[in-house]
Parts: sequence; structure tokens; C-alpha cells
Amino acid sequence: MKRAAAFTAIAAALFLSTCRPQLVKMPEPPQDRHAPFNYAGRKGMVVAAHPLAAQAGLDMLKEGGNAVDAAVATAFALNAAEPFASGIGGGGFMVIYLAKPKKVTTVNFREKAPAAATPTMFANKGEALEQWRTERGTAVGVPGMLAGWSYALEKYGTKSLAEAARRAIEIAADGFPVSLTFSTINKDEYEKLLKNAGETTCYLNGGVAYEPGDTFKNPELAATLRLITTKGIKEFYRGEIARKIVAAVRAKEGIMTLEDLAGYEPEEMTPLQGTYKDFTIYTLPPPGSGGLHLLQLLNIVENWPLKDWGHNSVATIHHLCEAMRFIFADREHYLGDPDFVTIPVAGLLSKDYARRTREKIVPDKTAAAYPYAVFDPAQEKKENTTHVCVIDKDGNIVSLTQSINDFFGAGIVPEGTGFLLNDHMADFSSNPKSPNAPNPNRRPTSSMGPLIMFKKGEPLLVLGSPGGTRIFSSLVQIIINIVDFGMSLDEAIEAPRFFSYSVSGKPRPISIESRIPEATLKALEALGHEIAVKEDYDKYFGGAQGLMILKDKKIILGGADSRRDGVGAGY
Amino acid sequence: MKMTWEKTILSVLLVFAVIAVYSFGRQEAKALFEQPALITSAGQSADGLQASVLAKKAELKADLAKFAVSKDLENHKALILVLGASMKGLGAAGLDTNKEKERIAQLLAEAKKRNVPVLCLHIGGEARRGQLTDEMIGEYLPSAQMVIVVKSGNKDGIFTKICTAKNIPLIEVDKILDVVVPLKASFKR
Repeated sequence: MKRAAAFTAIAAALFLSTCRPQLVKMPEPPQDRHAPFNYAGRKGMVVAAHPLAAQAGLDMLKEGGNAVDAAVATAFALNAAEPFASGIGGGGFMVIYLAKPKKVTTVNFREKAPAAATPTMFANKGEALEQWRTERGTAVGVPGMLAGWSYALEKYGTKSLAEAARRAIEIAADGFPVSLTFSTINKDEYEKLLKNAGETTCYLNGGVAYEPGDTFKNPELAATLRLITTKGIKEFYRGEIARKIVAAVRAKEGIMTLEDLAGYEPEEMTPLQGTYKDFTIYTLPPPGSGGLHLLQLLNIVENWPLKDWGHNSVATIHHLCEAMRFIFADREHYLGDPDFVTIPVAGLLSKDYARRTREKIVPDKTAAAYPYAVFDPAQEKKENTTHVCVIDKDGNIVSLTQSINDFFGAGIVPEGTGFLLNDHMADFSSNPKSPNAPNPNRRPTSSMGPLIMFKKGEPLLVLGSPGGTRIFSSLVQIIINIVDFGMSLDEAIEAPRFFSYSVSGKPRPISIESRIPEATLKALEALGHEIAVKEDYDKYFGGAQGLMILKDKKIILGGADSRRDGVGAGY
Repeated sequence: MKMTWEKTILSVLLVFAVIAVYSFGRQEAKALFEQPALITSAGQSADGLQASVLAKKAELKADLAKFAVSKDLENHKALILVLGASMKGLGAAGLDTNKEKERIAQLLAEAKKRNVPVLCLHIGGEARRGQLTDEMIGEYLPSAQMVIVVKSGNKDGIFTKICTAKNIPLIEVDKILDVVVPLKASFKR
């Protein structure tokens, strides 16, 4: 009913808009933040994890910027408004669609390991392993964010870095009221922040966690961004900020050097392409694993009668979780930085391999083991191969996922800079024999998977999410919710989610939102699954943002995940 | 709009009830406790660590022990029990709910045996409520000699109800940082 009501309201608003555009008022989001709601626009739209960031992107579009300009403006603003999830101390990936030449490309600005990294750097750390991977200086990868944003702006944008950063500087300087999401995460990460950033950091409020409604300001970040926009990104990679980054990392037993920062380069890559039924999907190639695994899972799912089984039914959840476990076995065995290891991308993405995996999954019990696939190396060649969605008035699109890894990253703030450093070194395996073991200048495997889905050559769906290893499974569930179960965009995003994986061929429990009925959980247990019930709308499953472009209806819909503070802003 | 005598009495009672609740919530902290204090979390949220920062701001001699057990009460004259469960915190500590509850029960029993008074804090507000925290509130609050809560955590009156029934002084504050003043006043100098 909510879906129908939302569509009716949007359709009515758009009909009226054709008659008297000056009187158009789009429907307001409902009081219940979890109630599915599709933002609507006709010319352009930005969907992001904070209202101020979405507005920053929309302002850029209205000021004549294109989708890349708006995506970078939104990304900058997220550093100020959602600093616990991303920022200039981190990295990310961008999928760009250029409407005129109908070209899709990707920009990889994932962090790199410092040159002094070794495969054994996280081995034999015992109980302190997680601290070395996530909270000490060794957790920090060489940040790629500014290099990536700058590259995208220079090659595909129309505005300067200073113009893109303007709203972020204002947000950081003026402050904004802290949301329940911000406060909850701040409390959860309190110990790390107190230890690494100290009692006087702006990321704590007088030494304690922020509460909803408190004002969060970050004048030091504003000053840092002003410095960068005045002197250029070289200030970050080779100047005073670089020196502060290295000092902060090394003070916490890290290994980064000035040379590591000076040597960082983003990389433009050919997107990974796959199909699901009538749709073509362009997404990230490795070292982003989210796109690869998303296509793998969709290939497996494609021939299952999901509609007959029913949405979030026992059969659907059982089959999908079994497939995820086989995919994780492949991930563990093959995934690493494609510049250094061979990943059998073609084999993993073949429909034949999907069929073979499907055949291993039986309806009435869990598998005894989840082995990785073996491919003929001769047939493989080496492939060098908080989410933001933007579309502009010319149909250019950006799907951008960026991160500092864990909430509040490593909790380390270079002195006087106001930005948090990432802990993406934790995405390397601590097993020295893994293809994803730390090595000099390698990029750790990422779970990010921003994507653009096309139907008959026209972009239909733009999607992405944070959420670590849950990213690809969450995105697949959203896609099948839309394609197979006929949900609207935001209904598909808000629907209950589940996830499972395997470690060394052994199954892990199904993590599942508590909205799934008890009877379904009991039936899954009867099939041999262990169940771990999460919250109703759990941030564990990410915070997806999406755009749906209904060209025939001249409508752009935006869906923003209520598991975080996502909103859409269109015009 | 004629007012019946029943309505008049009801209105007067309502006004008295509001005043009573308001006054109760505005209780002044009395110096019931002596230093040094032992701080521990019930539920392994980061609120225990926050409480130690608040104690420092209140210029109290206090030691934080995340996993305090009976022998940690030695050389301490008060126990500050910080209520608030975190599944993340419990998981990181390798504890399950039962083990944590067992630890707190033993600690409170030892405090009673040693005549060490208990000050309960709940500073996580509404977000730090939930089934496990509520169970702990129900089980441990009656052992307290005083309770300080951040108001949003008492929206449903759970602390008011127990403290009223057990005649335990309850101090409500608006924000986490506001805990410093009553915390300081609760301890003898």
C-alpha cells in the first residue's frame, strides 16, 4: 500500500508539475524513517548518507556542475557531515557513465599498503591482532581519496576542487546537529577515539560521546580543506599535511613514509560487465571484490524460481546463503590486488561456473563443505583490471563508494587537521600465504561494489552500499527485490536482509534482521543453518543508496537506506 | 464546559503528581560515598570508560576495571556500576550474557558483604536501552544507594519506578557531561 501511495503521490506531483511547475511540491518523507519512500526528480538527483551532503551535491547540479562535479561535492561534504564513514583520510571507487559517448569507466582510488608492508606484518600478533589491524598505525593505508576526486574532476568534471569543496568547508565550520546514528556510532567507537584521538578531539564532546541534538563542528577540517583548495592536493601528498599524517601514523607504531604519500596515484580501470536476465551491469573490477561477487551471485541466482519460492522465504534465504558461502570460498582463495596476483575473473563470472555451483546446492540441507572453484589457468589471462549516487540533467551518472573502513577509521587524527585516517590495512589477510596478504604498495581487496545497471542500453538503476563483506549480498537482494519481486526502489532497499559466508570451507551462521518471522528462522535451523538474529534495521547490512531512472515516465527516483541517515535531493 | 467535582479532584491530583515526579527528578545528590571508587561496566558498553572520564572531571579518585571481580573491591570504598549492554562490547570481550550477569551478581554480593555502597549510572540515554540493559536495570538497581541517569534513558520511567519502590535517591540530568556535578557531590571530600 505504501508503495502504491508513494507512486501515486509522485505521479500526481509530476502531472501537476507539467501544468504549473512553480507550484510543484514533492511529497515529504514520512515520519517513520523506515517507511519506504522514493524521492523524485526530473532533471537530476543526488542520494547520499547525510542530508547536508545530498544538498551539497544538488546545489552543485543546480549551479551547472555535471554528475562528477556533484559527486565530488557530495563526497567532500560527507567528510564534514558523516566523518565517521569516509573522508580524505580514506579511499574508494567511482563508476562513471558518460551519457553522450555512452561510455562507462571506473576510477580506483583505493588505499595502498606502505612500501614497508610485509606479508607477515599481521602474523603472530595473538590476541592483539585486531588492534594492529584496526587501531594502530599499521592499520593505516596510504589514502587515495583526494587523488581520486581530483583525477575525476580534472578528466570528467567541469568545476575546480575549490568549488567542489566549498559546501564541505561551510558544513565543517558552521556545524550541524548530531543524529541518533552519529551518536550511537560515536558511543560504540568511544574507546578507540579516546585512546587514539584523545579527550580533546572534536570527535568527542568534551571528552565524552556526542548525544543526539548536540552540535558537531570541525573547524580544523575546514582549515585543512581551505589549505588544500588553496595549495592543491600536493599539500596533502607532499606538503605539511603529509608530514602530519606520517607523524601521526608513526607515533602509533605505523610504517608509512613521506615517499608512500608522494607516490600515490589513482587508476582508471575498465569496468567489470555482467548480465542478470535482461539487464547489463557495470561495476568495479578487482581489487574491488563487491562487483565481482555480486555478478557471481546473480549468475547463480538467475535460474532459480525466486518468484515461486517467495520473497525472504525459507527456500530463497537457504539457496542464497548457500551460494554466498561458495562465493566466499572463492574469495578467500583467489582475491588480491590484480596488479600482483592472477584472479580468474572470466572463470568466476562464467555462466557455466554458476551452473556448476547451483548444482552443488540442494534444497533440503546445507552442504557438507564449501570448496573453492578450480579453473584452467591456460584459459585465464591476468586482468588488470558511504555510497553516493548522482545523475545530472544530461544523463551522466556517478556511482561512488568511499570509506575509511571501520566507523571512525583507525581513530587517528593527524595533529590539527580534523580528518580521520583509515584502517583499510585490516582488509588484507593476516595469513602470509593468502593472495591478499599485505605487500609493498598493494591495494587490499575491497568489498565495495558501486554499480550501474542498464536495460536495452539505457541506465535504469544506480546502486551501492557500505557494509564490508555484506555489500554484494545486500546489493543482490535489492536487485532481485526489484527485478523478481516487483518492489519499488526504496521498498527493495528497506526490505529485511540476511547474509552468510564461509571460512576455510566451513559455513558461518546466517545473520538476519529480526523482521524475518520466527517460523522462517526455525525452518532454516531445521535445514542445518545456524542463525544470528540482528536488529530490525541493522547497520551491519550496510546503508544502500540508489537511483532509478524511468526514462519513459521522465522520472528519476531516489532510494536512501533508513539503516543510516540517507536522503535524496532532486530537482 | 461545567467542571464536575470529580474532574476538579482529578486535576488537582494530576498537578500534585506532576510536581512530585518533577521534584523527585530534581533531587540533589547527597555525599553518600567515600573515595576511592571502583568503576565497572555492567554490559561492557563504552559507557564504563566514559564514566571514568566523568569521574576524572569530577576530581574523584576512581579506578576503572572493565571486568572487575570481587577482589578488585579491596581498597575501594564505593562501587560505581555503569549500566548499559553492548553486544559489540560483550563480543569483543569474549563474554556471553550469562557470564557477564554472573560477574556482576558476584561483585554486588561481595560489595554488600564488605559494606561497599553502590552508585548506579546509566549515561547512554535512550539508545543504550534494550532487553539486556533493561534486565540488568531490574536486577541491579535495587542494590544501589543512589542512581544517576541521563534523562532520555528514563523516558518510560523505568528508573523512577524502581527507585520510588526501593526508596533510592534518583538524580536525572539532561546530558552526559551534566553527570559530573551530581557525581562530584555524591562523594565526601
